[in-house]
Amino acid sequence: MADIRIDRVTKRFGDVTAVNALDLAIKDGEFVVLLGPTGSGKTTTLRLVAGLEKPDEGRIVIDGTDVTKAQPAERDVSFVFQQYSLYPHYTVYQNLAFPLKSPLLKWSKPEIDARVHEVAGMLHIEHKLKNKATELSGGEMQRVAIGRALVRRPAVYLMDEPLSSLDAKLRAELRVELKRISVELGATILYVTHDNVEAMTMADRIGVLNHGRLEQIATPRDIYQQPDTIYVAQRLSSPPLNLVDPSLFGIEAPAGTSTVGVRPEDITIGQPSGVEGSTTLVERLGAETVAVLQVNGTQIQALVDPQATIGEGETVRVGVAENAPMFFDRDGRRIDAPRAGG
Amino acid sequence: MVRRVRGLSDRAIAWIFVTPTILLLLAINIYPLVWTVYLSFTNYRANRPNREIEWVGTRNYERILSDEGVWENLQRTAHFVTFTMLFQVLLGFGLALLLHKRFKGHGLWTTLILLPMMLSPAVVGMYWKYLFDPQIGIFNYLINGIWDFGTFSMTSEVALAPWAIIIVDTWMWTPYIMLLCLAGLRSVPDYLYEAAEIDRASTWRKFWNITLPMVLPFLMLAVMFRAIENFKMFDLVFELTSGGPGNTTRLASIDLKELAFDRWQTGRSSALAIILFVTVFGAMNVFVKLMNRVKAR
Ligand SMILES: Nc1ncnc2c1ncn2[C@@H]1O[C@H](COP(=O)(O)OP(=O)(O)O)[C@@H](O)[C@H]1O
Ligand SMILES: [Mg+2]
Repeated sequence: MADIRIDRVTKRFGDVTAVNALDLAIKDGEFVVLLGPTGSGKTTTLRLVAGLEKPDEGRIVIDGTDVTKAQPAERDVSFVFQQYSLYPHYTVYQNLAFPLKSPLLKWSKPEIDARVHEVAGMLHIEHKLKNKATELSGGEMQRVAIGRALVRRPAVYLMDEPLSSLDAKLRAELRVELKRISVELGATILYVTHDNVEAMTMADRIGVLNHGRLEQIATPRDIYQQPDTIYVAQRLSSPPLNLVDPSLFGIEAPAGTSTVGVRPEDITIGQPSGVEGSTTLVERLGAETVAVLQVNGTQIQALVDPQATIGEGETVRVGVAENAPMFFDRDGRRIDAPRAGG
Repeated sequence: MVRRVRGLSDRAIAWIFVTPTILLLLAINIYPLVWTVYLSFTNYRANRPNREIEWVGTRNYERILSDEGVWENLQRTAHFVTFTMLFQVLLGFGLALLLHKRFKGHGLWTTLILLPMMLSPAVVGMYWKYLFDPQIGIFNYLINGIWDFGTFSMTSEVALAPWAIIIVDTWMWTPYIMLLCLAGLRSVPDYLYEAAEIDRASTWRKFWNITLPMVLPFLMLAVMFRAIENFKMFDLVFELTSGGPGNTTRLASIDLKELAFDRWQTGRSSALAIILFVTVFGAMNVFVKLMNRVKAR
């Protein structure tokens, strides 16, 4: 196990700056999730740490050693690739055993066998061990790929959207499992995803990437409650954050406010203090219901009580929960406002 | 439902498309084959078309299979096929690995290496006859530059001639094997090497477990095409040595040509042709089965 320090690392591909002066320190045993949309530089960041790409600027330090120029094999990392990248001519067993047969490890056959079975059991692929890697479903391939990263005890685990191709049930299951493994092993993990549920549930700290720059890094609770920018607030809001003019709800905004952000869960419906609006669409998703509303020509999304008997085309009073609004200046930075519990 | 075109059924349309091909195949492949089978049981001679054709049963086959000369000849052919394949696979794969590195100017090198393949075999045969010339040939000159063997002739010494034809065929067709190997190498996705790099596999293991299995189907296909061609080898060797000295480079096809068109024993040569055909066909069937096994791995 080890700590990682990424020191103002920049990586360009021609005109594209994939990673832009990234600063990130990951403590020994910490689970850090980088969250960002496609193209924000998540994969490139992991590849830089792994040594599959060399930075144009900056340094990467793993466990106190400067590895900026070191080959991947010298860094002792394991990597779950975004595409499965299994060895196609091998069985699942051989794929899982492959990292343990490295000349740098001197494991005996029974040791390897025991470890492969242990990891296969953990990922529920024990019954597939004899299958060819190409004879698996996408979800199974991805579990083998995760397994191949977990068999070893590297200094650092790097995971590139490892759960994105799994179905919802398995994803939820493996989320818990991965978190458990990380705690159990005290593993240092750098995990990237575009899924904020994954980030919120697993991370010790979440870093939000925007076009190769790190916008903010903080604990899940802090980053949710105290987003530094509109961008961060938007990434952690689902359904999407409502961005409205300060005048819309008659909210008292601090000086310099240009936009007010209100999360869908902070919109109230039917409170006498609200302004008049109408429902245009009601999406019932089971555990939650999303209402799309029109208030003075602005579209607002609200999370409402699934028991509520709200229908489409109704006129309702729409308001904002107390202390919920977030105030942003013209550059999208949040203006510190008095907030309950904040 | 698929709407029918002017009332034609799908089946009818399918027949319309395949009929020309079937007719052509029947006319230029199947009919001659069947006719050859028939002739192989007769004493027909093509230079005496008016003589009555006499049915001789299996006599042609008996005589060929009991002929020492034919067996020696098949052995020579096997020797030629085996060694040309061996050298071409080793050299072709090696060159492909080098060119795959994409060094500066690799495109030019690829083109240069491919040149021999684009020449006509008869021309190559003629050309190498001069290169092998004991007095003026550059081959002998270069060899003697490495080690002084004195005067020797690749094409007219019994011990050297079988190797001369192997050298020339290898010179000409190694590029072909190389090209297919290169296609195989290019088909290996980078991420497999990256995964192996992360898994800290040795260079040897990467070659053995990623490169080779991915290239093998391409390599086997190339070898199959080349082996069939070389089993039938005629033009290049005929130009270079005409089967000599003695019978040392007399491959199956040269034997066949002489039997059919110098001695005009059409019936007997038909029987030999059928025997060669069955041999190649059987060998290739085995090879294709093997290849499918490799692909299924
Ligand atoms: N090998 C490459 N060559 C050129 N551009 C690349 C390469 N890899 C990534 N990029 C570019 O860098 C940016 C970041 O890509 P990536 O790190 O893959 O993002 P993410 O994983 O977050 O989707 C994208 O604009 C992408 O097009
Ligand atoms: Mg990516």
